[in-house]
Amino acid sequence: MNRIIAVACAAIMSIAGPALAQDWAPSGSVELQIGFGAGGETDTLGRVIAATMEEQTGWNVVPQNKPGGGGIAMFTGLLNADADGSVIAMGVSMPVLINLTLRGDQLPFDLDSFDYLGTVTRAQLAIIARDDAPFDDIASLVEYSKEQGGVPVAFDAKPQELMLMALNEQTGAGFKLVSTKSSAEMVQFVLGGQVQASFNAGTHIQYLEKGDVKMLASANADRHSYAQDVPTLQEQGYDLYTDPYFYFAAPKGLSDDAKSALAAALDAAIKSDKVQDVVTNVMQNSTNNLGPDGTKKMMEDGLESVGDLFN
Amino acid sequence: MVDLSVILAGFADAFTPINLMFVVCGVMLGQFVGAMPGIGPVMAMAIAIPFTFVIDPLPAIAFLVGINKGGLVGGAVPAILINTPGTPDAAATAMDGHPLAQQGKPEKATKMALYSSVTGDTFSDIVLVTISAPLALVALKMGPVEILALMVFAFSVIAGLVGKSISKGIIAAALGMLAATVGLDPEHATPRYYFGYFELFDGLSLAAVAIGMLAVAEILRRLASSKKGASATIDQPKDMTAADRRVSFAEYWACRFTMLRGAAIGTILGALPGVGSTAAAFMSYAATKKSSKDPDSFGKGNLQGIAAAESANSAVMGANLIPLLTLGIPGSVGAALIISAFVIHGIQPGPLLFEEQGRLVYGLFGAMIMANFANLFVGQLGLRLWSFVIRAPESVIFSTAILLCIAGVYLATGGVFGVIIMLMAAALGYVMTSFGFSPVIFIIAFFLGGRFEIALSQSLVLLDGNVLALINYPIALALFAIALITMVWMIWADRQKEL
Repeated sequence: MNRIIAVACAAIMSIAGPALAQDWAPSGSVELQIGFGAGGETDTLGRVIAATMEEQTGWNVVPQNKPGGGGIAMFTGLLNADADGSVIAMGVSMPVLINLTLRGDQLPFDLDSFDYLGTVTRAQLAIIARDDAPFDDIASLVEYSKEQGGVPVAFDAKPQELMLMALNEQTGAGFKLVSTKSSAEMVQFVLGGQVQASFNAGTHIQYLEKGDVKMLASANADRHSYAQDVPTLQEQGYDLYTDPYFYFAAPKGLSDDAKSALAAALDAAIKSDKVQDVVTNVMQNSTNNLGPDGTKKMMEDGLESVGDLFN
Repeated sequence: MVDLSVILAGFADAFTPINLMFVVCGVMLGQFVGAMPGIGPVMAMAIAIPFTFVIDPLPAIAFLVGINKGGLVGGAVPAILINTPGTPDAAATAMDGHPLAQQGKPEKATKMALYSSVTGDTFSDIVLVTISAPLALVALKMGPVEILALMVFAFSVIAGLVGKSISKGIIAAALGMLAATVGLDPEHATPRYYFGYFELFDGLSLAAVAIGMLAVAEILRRLASSKKGASATIDQPKDMTAADRRVSFAEYWACRFTMLRGAAIGTILGALPGVGSTAAAFMSYAATKKSSKDPDSFGKGNLQGIAAAESANSAVMGANLIPLLTLGIPGSVGAALIISAFVIHGIQPGPLLFEEQGRLVYGLFGAMIMANFANLFVGQLGLRLWSFVIRAPESVIFSTAILLCIAGVYLATGGVFGVIIMLMAAALGYVMTSFGFSPVIFIIAFFLGGRFEIALSQSLVLLDGNVLALINYPIALALFAIALITMVWMIWADRQKEL
């Protein structure tokens, strides 16, 4: 009899466990910090997720922009926030990983300073050229650049610059590296003929459809959903890739209840049609939540691969 | 080419009562928020965007366009009435607008700003609707080297505003450039002058520096010099004639060439991503002053000065949509916010937009035209309200203004750090003005300095550091030549005057 009760209790406990976690609710409003300024991709995603969470959970979720250093300012501030579920933060993996690699000794935090809650999606990064360019893949671009004594290629973030430098070193292509501020500016330079090739994170897709530009490679670990026939850099024989994720973190030391409730609430919001729609529209991609453990692993693996890029 | 039936259907979509309502609400909100020192329409748009998710694309975009256009008119109000421009381009409006208000004619000054703003805006909208496609192709030819040359040309025109002491002007500009170098360098992302504050990686916030230097410094000066007792912020004599309150058609018509030049400058600079309304407003102002028969009357309440600045900075907004709609390239923060409203609704601005969403695009054009008229009517009523508000005592007006500045900068920069930068900028602005250095020159250099550096570093890579390679860039060469001629001509004209 006792044994039956014990089993029954255990069974009830195991059901009640997650159910209790769902019962966790923030004592006040939840501040959703966004590590970039108003109006960008991260801001748009963050605000829609905040609104959806609020709708689904009934919590008061308040988006707050905390721009500065690609999220570094926000994460520095997060160190002093209470780990009671009242503050969560949305950032992009790459700038954080790069800063940790470049000047980790000056930063007040490392990867272990936070709890991780999940990811929204991954940015798809392509290498493109104008449709009438006399090359179709990276090898022929390298060849063309050698013939011309070095052609200009545009980038808008540090990992892209490092990849181009690595390509120059491996192949002797002699690319001239043109720094720009956005994907839109890079498309403009490619179309205007100011550069021969560039990276791009989505603005190019319409031009691809229209036939104004062509895609030379995917710079991610996988091929892109909209261009399955274009191989990755790795498939083309260059061991280089970058996988920037939009991810959520919270101050370290969140209680298990709070952590699982917040992760579940985020997951429900990310899986909603509304957020799915916005991710499709803004990122030309589907949502991809790696969950708390997957997100932590993604950051740790990412730190290693960024470290490789710099060496 | 888009089918005529699509164009008509688009306009028909736009001209509905529900869209009109959204446009008018947007314009009212824009004019109101724009008139709050330190807050401004960009902030209002950023906050409004997620709410537009639940309404149809056309009313959503009509609402945002209304806010943006209303903000252009509203932004001139604090600049003119209390000399606290929240953005660098409104500082050009303040140069003649505020002296006129101080002469007891605040309504006349704000109305001139309203009319010239709507005129410039309408001009650039017409250009947008009719010839945006060919203009966008020209804009594509303007690469980093050409943009660099264009900025040098803009500097050469604006240099005419430096004032009596050229050395003080150069020092102010150099300080502004220095402030623009704070943060990660644009080429290799090496941190500069960040003193261990990661908040400075993205550079000093433009909003914090501009509001601190232009608005807060002025508020502090007014508070410091205000006398005891409740005096009205601006004395509006009881015996004012109707002519002092309004702008007559003759006065408006006398500014027609000024407004046309301002609108043209604004439209050209607006069509090129990355130069912006500040350069347009000051270029137009400087060109008007230089070509005037009576340049000494500028800065003392000349209607031409208000018309020059407002027609140019408002024309930028419509023209910003040219690269946005045809190429998907935003020319300003406001345009970038309109893009994000598009993409939230699943519409990707770019080369296919006119083909795939022609009806929506012409609906947007219809909404823009409605917004221009709404601006005029809402402005007529709203400006009366502001000239009434301004009768309140200085102590009320300026303490409210400083609160709004702090709140606005806190919102725009995401925290107290920005407010501290704003206060430091205010202190610097106060000291600079006291010693005769122009904070406006500082701000222009600060604002354009960052973009100038990017264009310069891109150009150096493209030219391989070889000046002779400029031979391959005829447009840039021509612009450099015009800049040189402008500078020589201005120096020569100054000499003539002295003799």
